[in-house]
Amino acid sequence: MIQGERVELPVRIRDAAVASAMYAVPAATAQAVIAYSGLDVAEPLPGRAICSLAFIRYADGDLGPYHEFAVAFLVRPPGTAPPAGALGRLRGMAGAGAFIHWLPVNQEFTLECGRTIWGFPKELADMPMDLSGRTKRCAVRFGGRTAIELHVRSGAPVPGGAGAPKVDAYSCLDGVTRRTPWTLTPSGVRMRAGGAKLVLGDHPVAEELRSLGLDRARALSCSTVRHLEMTFEAAEEVPR
Amino acid sequence: MSPALKRTALVTGAASGVGALAARRLAAAAWDVVAVDVDADGLAATTLRSPNSHVRACDPGDAEAIQGVLADVGPVHRVVHAASLAPAARALDQPVEEVEAVLRTTFVGAVHLVQGTLPGMLERGSGEIVLFSSLAAFAPEPRGSAFAAAAAAVGAYAAALAAEYAGQGVRFRCACPPFGGDADDHRLILDAVDRSLARPEGDLHVFPGRTPGGRWRLPGTSAPR
Repeated sequence: MIQGERVELPVRIRDAAVASAMYAVPAATAQAVIAYSGLDVAEPLPGRAICSLAFIRYADGDLGPYHEFAVAFLVRPPGTAPPAGALGRLRGMAGAGAFIHWLPVNQEFTLECGRTIWGFPKELADMPMDLSGRTKRCAVRFGGRTAIELHVRSGAPVPGGAGAPKVDAYSCLDGVTRRTPWTLTPSGVRMRAGGAKLVLGDHPVAEELRSLGLDRARALSCSTVRHLEMTFEAAEEVPR
Repeated sequence: MSPALKRTALVTGAASGVGALAARRLAAAAWDVVAVDVDADGLAATTLRSPNSHVRACDPGDAEAIQGVLADVGPVHRVVHAASLAPAARALDQPVEEVEAVLRTTFVGAVHLVQGTLPGMLERGSGEIVLFSSLAAFAPEPRGSAFAAAAAAVGAYAAALAAEYAGQGVRFRCACPPFGGDADDHRLILDAVDRSLARPEGDLHVFPGRTPGGRWRLPGTSAPR
């Protein structure tokens, strides 16, 4: 029960739109950032981890309409050994999960759902977002001060069926690490190399991203999704 | 969002289709949304778990009802009039009462909303009025004469407003989606409306911009973007 309403699982999102950018970052620094979770970053290349920044407009879904910004890192499934060799590293990416490090939202119902049901690190922010143009934009603001602003330029259309339909999302709130099975059904996907502009303000998470070198890094790739359907199952605790 | 930045949008036709999507997107963007439609169940679905959305079950063609809504909600910063009626009938088979009902909701509804909100917008020197017409206004669908006429009336009214109140800070847009569009058509036309509103001197007519090469280009308008 959230705010007097029964939320059934899995939670279904019937219409969302997304813009995201992926960065290669130093694995040791990334590992230090997420050490509190007990998880290990995936290293598709030796010494490099993947940090993903995304903003999402939820229009139609079980948690109501809202905006969200995500800072995530690709992680190895808990309890698996680091893959060996270049091929093993690439193969390991197929099973990689997404550790959600920070997840500000702009509405209270989803804030409480996210923290209570899955332990997602949601907090309340002002989040102006423009997904209508060729360049998608989102800012995360607290009391009028910008913590993060991301611009994502859309690329070339990607044929349907691309992307990862099933991912595990990981989170760690109040010392408890959880795994949430997550399915994604995107359409209207566009991708390109580079194409992101990141502005980092005065905020602890912005400081962390600065320590990862993101204030001057070129994105590996950007993607935009015009229509995304998702489901989130119940979370299960990951033993430490 | 601080109270000073609180913006109110009034969306008609909000129980389904493009009106529902417009209401949800505005609610996601933290607007205060007043969702109007005759379909109360549809309104409840649109505004599910959206504390900044408010429902008013009435027909925009009903002058008294709209006056009541506007008296309650205070200043409206954006109007999205997406309510319409489009019962299918051949022109000679359609009772004139049905034609009047189509015109009342689709066109006279626009007039009620504009007369109720435009004076305040002009006073503040800012505001956005988005009236939904249809490509059917230019290329009527079979058995859709009344709706095509109402959509054309909305378009002409929007053009007249844009001319009469030009340069006073209020932006007028006339959205022209394809008739009977699907969910993707709704997303595309609303994206096109947002892009257009982001340009102060954007064109009055907004087309979905799905087809390259200006398939829906009209005399006196620029190509769809």
